[in-house]
Amino acid sequence: MTDIPRRTRLALWIQREVGRVLSVFWIPASAFALRYVMRYRIQDAARLRKRFRALVRESDEPILICANHLTMVDSMLVAWALGGSWWYFFNYRRMPWNLPEHRNFASVWFGKAAVWITKCIPIKRGGRREEVSGALKRVKYLLSKGETALIFAEGGRSRTGRIQLDSIAHGMGRIASSVRNCRALVVYLRGDRQRSWSTVPAVGDSFYVDFELVRPHSERTGMRRSREYAQQIADRLVRMEEKYFARRK
Amino acid sequence: MSRDETYAKVMEIIGRYAKNKDALEGASEDTNILEDLKVNSARLVDVILDFEDEFDIEVADEDADAVNTVGDAVSLIEAKLG
Repeated sequence: MTDIPRRTRLALWIQREVGRVLSVFWIPASAFALRYVMRYRIQDAARLRKRFRALVRESDEPILICANHLTMVDSMLVAWALGGSWWYFFNYRRMPWNLPEHRNFASVWFGKAAVWITKCIPIKRGGRREEVSGALKRVKYLLSKGETALIFAEGGRSRTGRIQLDSIAHGMGRIASSVRNCRALVVYLRGDRQRSWSTVPAVGDSFYVDFELVRPHSERTGMRRSREYAQQIADRLVRMEEKYFARRK
Repeated sequence: MSRDETYAKVMEIIGRYAKNKDALEGASEDTNILEDLKVNSARLVDVILDFEDEFDIEVADEDADAVNTVGDAVSLIEAKLG
């Protein structure tokens, strides 16, 4: 899987290695901000992390994390929920690469620097197709090299507060269908006080997190294959959301 | 099939998904499907799958990356039809 230029591969390698060196600062700082500044709590975190680590030990196959999307810090929360903080020092390739919206994070210099260090590949949603495709190709390349990536199943934060099946990100299916042996780790995360979408969750919120491994399949080819992959992942996410709300009744 | 006929069918399909109906009326081959016609990027996949059904062609994700304008769509379909 080397359909990206050598120069881009080198740039990704440099980005990852600089991020790895600086991770002794940014990973604890992120965890500190989530835990002590925002006072967030992951429900049953120990068990969740144990499950995730067992899954990682099970196989070296690439993992594409596909999560629901309600706030702008969801990717941080998912990474923290699954791996904690110190564990990533020894398993840096399991710290997921993210595809944040360029306008939200990378439009000013310090935002650019922050996303570059923290394994992000900014993407302009709805931007020129070649640019979006370039970002997806980089993610595919990274997954093929054993890295982990996170993509939100919906094109943006859900405006209804529930999984929006009419906004499913085709890129998710496209990546999952084109990376050999790619496993989709479907993650449902939601703060108990989260009613709809927002910039950040409420201070002190407690998060329900669940994940399931999915191996999408399709007999189709071309875009229909990618579409079916994305649909299967989204369907699983919807079932996980139903489980969450049934539990709350 | 002439380019004009292909264009007409392409516009008919895009019209089902375009939110900006005013731009649709004055559209040309240079009209950007996402920016000008306000087709949701998630819906662009539906547009291309409709092209597949209408013209009996198969489009790969990589081919679809080249589709930004109505003219790009027409050219892609013509290339697929040979």
